[in-house]
Amino acid sequence: MLKDLATLNKPPITAGERKFSRLMLFFEDIIKVPLFHCQRCGECILSSTAFICSQNCPKRLRNGPCGGTGDDGSCEVYPERKCVWYKIYFRSKRLKRISLLYKINKIHNWNLEGTSTWLNVLRKRIDGPILFVRNDKQRVKEKIANDV
Amino acid sequence: MTFKEKIESDRFILCGEIGPPQSCDGDVIRAKSKHFKGYVDAVNITDNQTAMVRLSSIASAKILLEEGVEPIMQMTCRDRNRLAIQSDLLGAAALGIRNVLCLTGDYQTFGDHPEAKGVFDLDSIQLIATIAKMNRGFLLSDFEMKKAPEFFIGAAANPFAEPFEIRLIRLYNKIKAGAHFIQTQPVFDLEIFTRWMDRVVEMGLHEKTAILAGVMPIRSVKTLIWLKENLSGVKIDDIYINRMQHARDPKEEGVKMSVDIIQTLKNVKGVRGIHLMPVMWESITPTIIKEAKLNMTN
Repeated sequence: MLKDLATLNKPPITAGERKFSRLMLFFEDIIKVPLFHCQRCGECILSSTAFICSQNCPKRLRNGPCGGTGDDGSCEVYPERKCVWYKIYFRSKRLKRISLLYKINKIHNWNLEGTSTWLNVLRKRIDGPILFVRNDKQRVKEKIANDV
Repeated sequence: MTFKEKIESDRFILCGEIGPPQSCDGDVIRAKSKHFKGYVDAVNITDNQTAMVRLSSIASAKILLEEGVEPIMQMTCRDRNRLAIQSDLLGAAALGIRNVLCLTGDYQTFGDHPEAKGVFDLDSIQLIATIAKMNRGFLLSDFEMKKAPEFFIGAAANPFAEPFEIRLIRLYNKIKAGAHFIQTQPVFDLEIFTRWMDRVVEMGLHEKTAILAGVMPIRSVKTLIWLKENLSGVKIDDIYINRMQHARDPKEEGVKMSVDIIQTLKNVKGVRGIHLMPVMWESITPTIIKEAKLNMTN
């Protein structure tokens, strides 16, 4: 079952660390904002969402699309845009990372908003990125067979 | 027998749905509950549906309890953060409400207060997991409660929205988070629904949860076309639009159509029950149940 459901504030962010975090964020932004439209949630799950930032969803959903995705994959709120999770699904399929969608992402810690993800990984507040996925299809099969 | 016990037994389940009024008139709910009492196993109470301000779902559910109808209280993530969600749930449990349906919620710009801030602190899957944790006696903060609530957790599924495959992943994650029963969006396209159900059965998910298929009785062809054009994520087979267009009495045809859909759904493998959604047409429920020859409760 889900042991830790929410990202906790442990260790708490001190004033000094917050200052350092802003410095780190300067470098992080140079890469992540132009490449991924990073929304600076401070709790990056890019590696589980096929490197598309899920926080561009109007509802900021972290666990898959709402029921409003149109037939052409359009967003219900902004029909001129594509649903973020529609894009995530098809890129996950192309990159063979579907098994990562069978994972429930934690409840967002809003204290981390506007802090550096890289620093948060180093401080072990959040999990690090998953770089490689092997045997994607096999993993999905195992998950369905064992988890539920 | 409670709703939970009925689902745990083997019988065919029937749910209804009531939308609370946009005023403080509780008698509206009392009047609507008469159309369901003795006909269905439980009745959904919507939580500010389509992002319109309505009488709260907790209060409405309590009114239903007083009327002797078992409520399924809907809870959306749009209007509450994690503090309000947990406190409302504890309040609901104290009032004797046992069934909760977890939803993400319609986006606020579709409702009557488009200027509002949407909260979406949790999403529906995380809400299910939160309630499952509360059932084990803990709040999200890991605080151990002296008395744990005993919620029976429901979730929604939409077999008709794209991409098809991710809807199954969502269903899997909802069951993993702790959903005991699933209600689907209204079925107006049996081909897609059976294809989805086949996959659900193949994955073995129908054994881990009770899947209740949605059926929405329709009064006029206008409503049907409105649904098709304005509601993304709902698919409507042209057969039904044709049927409604050429019907002499659209109301009668609407009832026949719902009965036809129910009878087909009954024979689809993995479907444990029907969730009837007669939006603004609650009075038709007994007729449909009689004509579809579904066993009445009690």
